Amino acid sequence: MADKVGSVLVIGGGIGGIQTSLDLVESGLKVYLLERTHSIGGVMAQLDKTFPTNDCAMCTISPKLVECGQNLNIEIITNAELGSVAGKAGNFEVEIVKHARYIDDAKCTGCGVCAKSCPIDAIDEYNYGLCERRATYIRYPQAVPRAFGIDKDKCIGCGLCESLCLRDAVIYGDKEQVKKINVGSIILSTGFESFDPALKQDYGYGEYPNVVSSFEFERILSASGPYKGHIFRASDAKMPEKIAWIQCVGSRDRGVERPFCSSVCCTYAVKQAIIAKEHIREGLDTTIFYMDMRTYGKGFEQYFNRAKNEHGVRFVCSRIHTVDPGSDGNLKLVFSDDDGQLREEEFDMLVLSVGFKPTKNVEEFANRLGIKLNEYGFCKTSTFSPIETSRAGVYVAGAAQEPKDIPATVMEASGAAACAEALLAEAKGSQIVKKEYPPEKDVSGLKPRIGVFVCKCGINIAGVVDVPAVTEYAATLPDVAYAEYNLYTCSQDTQVRIKEIIEEKQLNRVIVASCTPRTHEPLFQDTIRLAGLNKYLFEMANVRDQCSWVHASNPEAATEKAKELIRMAVGRAAFLEPLHTIPMSVIRRALVIGGGVAGMNASLSLANQGFEVELVEHEPELGGNIRHIHFTLEGDKPQEYLNSLIEQVQAHKLISVHLESQVKKVSGHVGHFESEVRSKKLEVRKIEHGVVIVATGGVESKPIEYLYGKDDRVITQRELEEHLANSQSTIRNPHSVVMIQCVGSRNEERPYCSRICCTQAVKNALKLKEQNPDTQIYILYRDMRTYGFREEYYYQARKAGVIFIRYDEQAKPVVSNNGRLKVEVKDPILGADVVLQPDMVVLSVAIDSHLENENLAPLLKVTLDASKFFLEAHMKLRPVDFGSDGMFLCGLAHSPKLIEESIAQAQAAAGRAATILNKERVEAGGVVSCVEEKKCVACLTCIRMCPYDVPFINKAGVAEIEAVKCHGCGICASECPAKAIQLLHYRDPQVVAKVDAMFG
Amino acid sequence: MIIAEQKPIQEIKAMIAGYQKVLIVGCDTCVTICMAGGRKEVGIIASCLRMALQIDRKKPQLIEDCIQRQCEWEFVDTLKDKVDGVDAILSSACGVGVQALAERFPNKPVYPALNTTFMGMPNEHGLWVENCRGCGNCGLGRFGGICPIARCSKGLLNGPCGGSQNGKCEVSKEMDCGWQLIYGRLKTLNQLDQLEDILLPKDWSTDRDKGQRKMFRGDVYYEQTV
Amino acid sequence: MTEHFEPEIVAFCCHYCAYGAADLAGSMRLNYPANVKIVKLPCTGKVDIIYLLKAFEDGADGAYVAGCLEGNCHFIDGNIKAKRRVARAKKLLDEIGIGGERLEMFNMSASMGPRFAEVAREMTERVRGLGPSPLRK
Ligand code: SF4
Ligand code: SF4
Ligand code: FES
Repeated sequence: MADKVGSVLVIGGGIGGIQTSLDLVESGLKVYLLERTHSIGGVMAQLDKTFPTNDCAMCTISPKLVECGQNLNIEIITNAELGSVAGKAGNFEVEIVKHARYIDDAKCTGCGVCAKSCPIDAIDEYNYGLCERRATYIRYPQAVPRAFGIDKDKCIGCGLCESLCLRDAVIYGDKEQVKKINVGSIILSTGFESFDPALKQDYGYGEYPNVVSSFEFERILSASGPYKGHIFRASDAKMPEKIAWIQCVGSRDRGVERPFCSSVCCTYAVKQAIIAKEHIREGLDTTIFYMDMRTYGKGFEQYFNRAKNEHGVRFVCSRIHTVDPGSDGNLKLVFSDDDGQLREEEFDMLVLSVGFKPTKNVEEFANRLGIKLNEYGFCKTSTFSPIETSRAGVYVAGAAQEPKDIPATVMEASGAAACAEALLAEAKGSQIVKKEYPPEKDVSGLKPRIGVFVCKCGINIAGVVDVPAVTEYAATLPDVAYAEYNLYTCSQDTQVRIKEIIEEKQLNRVIVASCTPRTHEPLFQDTIRLAGLNKYLFEMANVRDQCSWVHASNPEAATEKAKELIRMAVGRAAFLEPLHTIPMSVIRRALVIGGGVAGMNASLSLANQGFEVELVEHEPELGGNIRHIHFTLEGDKPQEYLNSLIEQVQAHKLISVHLESQVKKVSGHVGHFESEVRSKKLEVRKIEHGVVIVATGGVESKPIEYLYGKDDRVITQRELEEHLANSQSTIRNPHSVVMIQCVGSRNEERPYCSRICCTQAVKNALKLKEQNPDTQIYILYRDMRTYGFREEYYYQARKAGVIFIRYDEQAKPVVSNNGRLKVEVKDPILGADVVLQPDMVVLSVAIDSHLENENLAPLLKVTLDASKFFLEAHMKLRPVDFGSDGMFLCGLAHSPKLIEESIAQAQAAAGRAATILNKERVEAGGVVSCVEEKKCVACLTCIRMCPYDVPFINKAGVAEIEAVKCHGCGICASECPAKAIQLLHYRDPQVVAKVDAMFG
Repeated sequence: MIIAEQKPIQEIKAMIAGYQKVLIVGCDTCVTICMAGGRKEVGIIASCLRMALQIDRKKPQLIEDCIQRQCEWEFVDTLKDKVDGVDAILSSACGVGVQALAERFPNKPVYPALNTTFMGMPNEHGLWVENCRGCGNCGLGRFGGICPIARCSKGLLNGPCGGSQNGKCEVSKEMDCGWQLIYGRLKTLNQLDQLEDILLPKDWSTDRDKGQRKMFRGDVYYEQTV
Repeated sequence: MTEHFEPEIVAFCCHYCAYGAADLAGSMRLNYPANVKIVKLPCTGKVDIIYLLKAFEDGADGAYVAGCLEGNCHFIDGNIKAKRRVARAKKLLDEIGIGGERLEMFNMSASMGPRFAEVAREMTERVRGLGPSPLRK
């Protein structure tokens, strides 16, 4: 089809939308990123820290925000909504309604002068109303686009901001506009809304000031939040000494029509409790009231244990019914203690862990888009196509599909990108714009001629710093050939001017003294490139964010400091050198290790995008674990799916399958790896490839307890499933069954949760009940972790009469056999021992990592976690990337997970891999470390200190750093005792010059 | 290799305080590898000295250099021009290097910036251990490859003293009992019977307590007679 | 020592967290003394001990290294390596007679604008209390 359009509409600018957009442009598709509010970032930009690493949310998201904002091929359309959608997959005609913002975001520099003078206060939604903003506002300081907007509902039209704005960006008469675009595909990442806790009237939200929602608490914890990171309670601004969390507010609650589990609240409550304790050092008391602790994700269980054992967070398994006022603004809770006794306790502050709900007007939105929703109002998908909506060419990622956490959202976002890329394979690159630059001037050997451009930033800088004086001073500094000041150095006309002046004054280094390089360096670097200068000949002095804004009360000191900052920049600039990247060609072929569901899906996704795939499986057949799965809760047919998957893989002309084969050697780097694959017949095949995807899967562990292996009536869930699926089986119809959860999981040996077993137990229990409603089934569990929509099946199981008995890790059930099987367990609710005599005991056994991982990890030079699963580059934002470029992972190789999650992750890995395979070349070099061979004494320091294992001793006996692998941290350079290593752009003289210049 | 460590700055300062112009010379071999006196450390020493002397109102000129091996005449000779212009030399090498400089430049006072500690290796990055005393008469073959002279605090050659506990030496809990290690290794090698032979008193004549030791090789040493 | 002693302080900040925190302190218009000037590096793992010494040699009254929170360095453990180097440099400064208290290592995330301002204040106060560097007397 020739009419496919090489662009994608992404709806929703949260972390999912951002990730999918970045992946899409990398793979050659243009993106329109539609955002409802004034700026992208979504909920993640409102979070304080993220679990389970306690990484700062803003630190991790803000580089992505900036990247999105700067990408030429991502058009961010803020304050906008979807109008109509016509056409079909490959070519949709979409209408976008862009609401009036009243400030031209192309002109606005984000200086904030308007907000400073605006007389009107309004509720700050970003901070959940905990503080106020003005009628003209920016959602948060790091927002992208960095532009203000006017809240017309609040604005009184006084005209102050219009008269003050030096960029003439205020447009009182701004009108709604309708924009028509053609796109090949649509990706939904519209996210969720949080449940309104006021609907749970018994909890007193809105009535008692010291009851807050967890989302509000997140802002309270944030150092940039309403209380600057101090925890106060609203009634008396006192620092609380005792905080309680109530879980499942608006989740797992039929009473408020939210029957599903919101999946993330348990872990975020754990996080909030830990962080709160870090904030209030002197013995803050934290208690979490929960129904089941659902810390099922990778590393979550360990996180939960640390909270309990190291941080002293108290966990009480009790559903709270009402909250009553106590003394002094406190809140009184009644709950049943571990021993079943009712107790009453007061807390200073209460956090309601609110759940997710679909976004507002989602039905209407779905209608416009022509997609189906499920019964909860989330986007409908299926087990085997977890990213595809009911309309072809429309994909979904993140919490719009089901409540989920950030890594799952990010994974699906990359997966959705892969789906769109496969659909639009032939249109890739057709709508991408590339900038052309003039040939670079050779500045080597030339005496530095530095140009300094000082920005007034309207009055942001000039209002405090004496800009003309500073400029005059700059002109006197050594090597400075020219200096001037501008009203806005970043404006378009100034870019043209800078370019002209570079030519006219023959400048070979440029300094801009303005705001921060974190947002503006790329813009100015681009400008000097247009004038034929290498972008590394640029330096910035941050005289706004780090000077005028923070020293406003002392203009003289600020002016002095601005001079010093410029002097430092000049000192360094004289030493700057052009850096070049070396293009390395990319072999457009992938090596996929592992032929299970994940490996096959990743292979197919890549092959459908037009890339060759070598799929290596060590077993004699494809399929992996899914070969043992015969039915799902949702009524799918896994075996039919498997057969069709294998058929597709085998039939695909771009995929070569190597069965009974193993990877024995891997060398090279992103874009060009060389590997050896050895077959069972010991034939060695050499494969050249540009990327690697690891999908080695996991294995069901063999239990050593509960008489398994000693008594035939004790079997695993998987064995039960085989029996249930086999009409010939003799034990398909037991009278009574006891299932034991967490066998081998969540203990010292395997501190993690195996994630799938609760769902599997419920699935098999329902199947047994379906075959014979009279079968007695007992499930002995520690926490039922039927997260997300799986909660419904847990409910159905209880309705069908399955009896759930909680047991404690310290008092595990005991299985014995004296003719009949006997299971004894202590029921904490009854406080009594329960004795059961089932026909069959079914063990929900742990998932182990694959043994192969330990062989593979050193070959690939990647890391395994403590449980020998592969470790991703970043738990939150790079969930399918390895730390080393060009390597990806998916499926059970990463951690235990359900089929649909493995498929989504496989597509994600393919999506990420495609960002490399799609390029003809990868650029190596830039800010990387270099060894001066003559100086190297082969001391091995760099080899030992590099966090990425990059340096090695080469054939000449000296250290070598491959530019394409180096991450540019400079650790080796600062450790080398022979001073043989320099980090380019941060060479010692370049850094020291800056320090020297500070002191004149 | 040779392991060394930097002397305290004040001690170095006291040695060179009286000079106007000092050449600081590092060595690119052992002391670079053990991070005590290579190019980088020379920079650190120089910077520290400049500051320490400035506090005393002194502004000497410190010239930094580093040569490939301070224990070879050819490399040492490359310093000649620089040495001519200075009042003193600070050697940041092992004692061999310091002496090489002193011998080559007899008119210049030469001072050591390092303490030469021992012959050994990094057990881990940043942790060095002594494994050899250079006794000149190696018996490692008898001890499973573990030297009791260097690693038994009493240098016993016929088995442990009886004071070790849980594999640690009675002299210091931090120190492994050398003999425990020897025992373990021999056991692994199935050579425990070796311990049954009593060793006669060792011939210490090759050891280092008798003045400068010398060694020559006829096949490469062509100078007159020795 | 003069009455109004304004110390000169260099802050070596990593690009990812500390520099971001400094920018945020700006966006939040948090006031802090103008004595602190930042030298940006990709990671505190790039802070060579010689940079720290150079700063003092040049006449700094104080210096500090600010990186990501421990465990959150964007290059895995650059900040841990920096911490060790700062510890050594402190010892050297003590030996020299300048005083190790004039040098410190801090960790902060990019959202900790207030912390950045606080650290700038804290260091300025501390160094002001210590008086000018003995090298500047
Ligand atoms: S640290 Fe320096 S001297 Fe040592 S091996 Fe690496 S480059 Fe060579
Ligand atoms: S700069 Fe960092 S990533 Fe690059 S080789 Fe050195 S230590 Fe490794
Ligand atoms: S990146 Fe911040 S300390 Fe390493």
